[in-house]
Amino acid sequence: MKRAVRVGAGEGLVITANRLLDGAIVWLSADHTWQTAIQRAEVLVSDAVSERLEGVQSRAQADGVVGIYEIAVRPEVGGPVPLTMRERIRAFGPTVHPQFAYEQQEGAGA
Amino acid sequence: MTLFNLGAREAGHYAEPVTLADLVEQGEARSVVLESGDEVAALKPYLNRLELVVLRFPIFRDGRGFTQARELREYLHFGGEIRVEGHVLPDQADFLKRCGVDSVVLPEGSDVRPWERQLKRYSVSFQRSVLPEKVLDVGTRVAR
Amino acid sequence: MTTAIGQYQYDQVDRDFLAARIEEFSEQVARRLDGALTEDEFKPLRLMNGLYLQLHAYMLRVAVPYGTLNAAQVRAFADVARRYDRGYGHFTTRQNIQFNWIRLEDTPDILRLLADVDMHALQTSGNCIRNVTSDEFAGAAADELVDPRVHAEILRQWSTLHPEFTFLPRKFKIAISGSPNDRVAARFHDIGVIARPGDDGRVVFQIFVGGGLGRTPIVGQELYDSVPEERLLATLEAIIRVYNAHGRRDNIYKARIKILVQALGVAAYRNEVEAELAQMDIARYRLSPEMVASIEARFAAPDLQAPEGAAAVLAEQRAQNMVFDRWVRSNTHAHRSEGHIIAVVSLKPPGEIPGDVTADQLDRLAGLSERFAYGELRTTHLQNVVFGHVRQDQLYDLWRGLVDVGLGAPNVGLIGDIVACPGLDYCALANARSIPIAQKLGARFADMTLQEQIGALQINISGCINACGHHHAGHIGLLGVDKRGEEFFQMTLGGRADDQATVGKILGPALPEDDTVDAIARIVDRYLQERSGQESFLETLKRVGEAPFKEAAYDTV
Repeated sequence: MKRAVRVGAGEGLVITANRLLDGAIVWLSADHTWQTAIQRAEVLVSDAVSERLEGVQSRAQADGVVGIYEIAVRPEVGGPVPLTMRERIRAFGPTVHPQFAYEQQEGAGA
Repeated sequence: MTLFNLGAREAGHYAEPVTLADLVEQGEARSVVLESGDEVAALKPYLNRLELVVLRFPIFRDGRGFTQARELREYLHFGGEIRVEGHVLPDQADFLKRCGVDSVVLPEGSDVRPWERQLKRYSVSFQRSVLPEKVLDVGTRVAR
Repeated sequence: MTTAIGQYQYDQVDRDFLAARIEEFSEQVARRLDGALTEDEFKPLRLMNGLYLQLHAYMLRVAVPYGTLNAAQVRAFADVARRYDRGYGHFTTRQNIQFNWIRLEDTPDILRLLADVDMHALQTSGNCIRNVTSDEFAGAAADELVDPRVHAEILRQWSTLHPEFTFLPRKFKIAISGSPNDRVAARFHDIGVIARPGDDGRVVFQIFVGGGLGRTPIVGQELYDSVPEERLLATLEAIIRVYNAHGRRDNIYKARIKILVQALGVAAYRNEVEAELAQMDIARYRLSPEMVASIEARFAAPDLQAPEGAAAVLAEQRAQNMVFDRWVRSNTHAHRSEGHIIAVVSLKPPGEIPGDVTADQLDRLAGLSERFAYGELRTTHLQNVVFGHVRQDQLYDLWRGLVDVGLGAPNVGLIGDIVACPGLDYCALANARSIPIAQKLGARFADMTLQEQIGALQINISGCINACGHHHAGHIGLLGVDKRGEEFFQMTLGGRADDQATVGKILGPALPEDDTVDAIARIVDRYLQERSGQESFLETLKRVGEAPFKEAAYDTV
């Protein structure tokens, strides 16, 4: 079993994966669909995560996603901002190619 | 379960294979099952009565069975049936065959078409195997 | 089609094989999409075709066998970069090229495009025998004893879909060189092979085993001093058979052959190999002179004709142009044929991403190779590109062409010639970003006069312990680590990958990115103070020890 992600005060969790067909990074939204923008991700409290993970894991093949896991975020006005550099790079794009940055809403920068 | 033949030899019917440890006790057994960590050389004293050696793959990524099969054929000159059971993929059919495996145990109802396709896929290989394959040109490649 | 210079010329049998391999991969993709293959089953299968799932997309690593390319192949890379990626590619530390923004569904089409120019992505990943690497100056260097590319091709073919060795405990890397000056890091490979002429006129091979970087960096040990050519394949089969049977499979970090060699000791490993050889049907593995000749016949050699006075033309042009002269000093190497020279193109312009090339640059490199280098290019494990055979009287025009496309950096072998893995910006395994610190270091030492004054100094940067940036082998090595969500860099000094291969020693506690750049600047200053005469950094380090450098690195007052 993978270690549970630790969440501090005022922080939450979002669920992420990669799309099987093109490898694109996707985020689980409140309507249980996979979205390419982290701004559409639903921020969950710790208790809700394991049940939600189980549900999406069982649908992974049908939904065409792989490598599902949860990450810690800080909810901000522009949308959730991941706490780790790795996940900020996944959410917003490589830091060394600004032209490849993912579209963000105002104020949602890393 | 389904028995799939990789080559010309038809899978035979044998008594339940014994483990390597049991083979030492029951010298009369004619079929044995090896785990991937077992040494093939331990079969030497029993070769003249063994008819079937089953190689168990715990997972398809554990490639020790390929070496076991090859050692059986190349070092021990084992002429009986080599069978593989456990977790193997059709993508490995040709590798198994070229290491000397005759048959594969598949779960009941398995689709054997990917296995058949894989065996027909290549018309050339780039190294010699334990099979009597025809050498192309001067011998860096073999025809299949 | 004319026979390719410096690489094996495919025939219809080879092309049919590649087509069948692509068909196999297409079917595997289809079975993955319909659920017949789980992700856990599909992953090793796609990796054997060079396809990774990285942070943002799939990454396709295309094989450049023994680092040799022709112009059409380089144009195909440009085509892939434009049509299926984002307009660029990245040369790796194993002479391959990778594309970072690939879609799984496009991959069969990309593989067909590559197959049209006899290229593939076979065994550039996975727990199999990987693409064989070789000397980037093969067939050209003045110091070469044997051209290693024929045997490299033999090893490429022999290892292709090897029935027994496709599901090894872990990846398996082989490098082969034919020069006593090791440019392939033979002692940092699972198997390193050094070819030289034997007494009977046939080639013999010195074989090192159990070297590697990664979590447990180890310098390979000599297993055999001189294996006859006829026994080369038998010996390699025996070495790998012992490893396949006995290498650890319970712990991915202890699964490489180096761990087994360490556990047994090299003498006991040799005994195991001998025991295999004693039982093997040696005739079946015999590499006959006829087989070698048949492969050799598929390689064309360039007709090296330089006009008389080519060297004088070059000398004159150097005298007239200081910038060109500086580039010639750092970026060329002696050729064995009179009037010729080897040119190294630095893919490390100051402040840019090491190893990255745009599609336009690839096209231009292809064109320059046709004009000046018999349509042949090589890639290096230091992420640069080489034109192997350039006429000395044409070097100036080649250089002008390179400068035109932003590839004229005169820093090969100098501190700006930084090796770096893709790091956390792209790689799913990384703990820290490698590229930004490489860019900062490149910018810090951008002054070419300063670089030349500093002299030979190799910086290698890895974003995680897997060490794709070969940090242990760098004169200065940097390993990115994650400290509570922050990127830190652990520094090693004194590593080298040549015939005196050494694992770098950790200098002290890891530092944050900017502090690391400053610390390296102080280390370099200290070296310039301590240096005696024209000593290289490594020579000074050897003479004075690491203490002054440690003091300089952590002197933050």
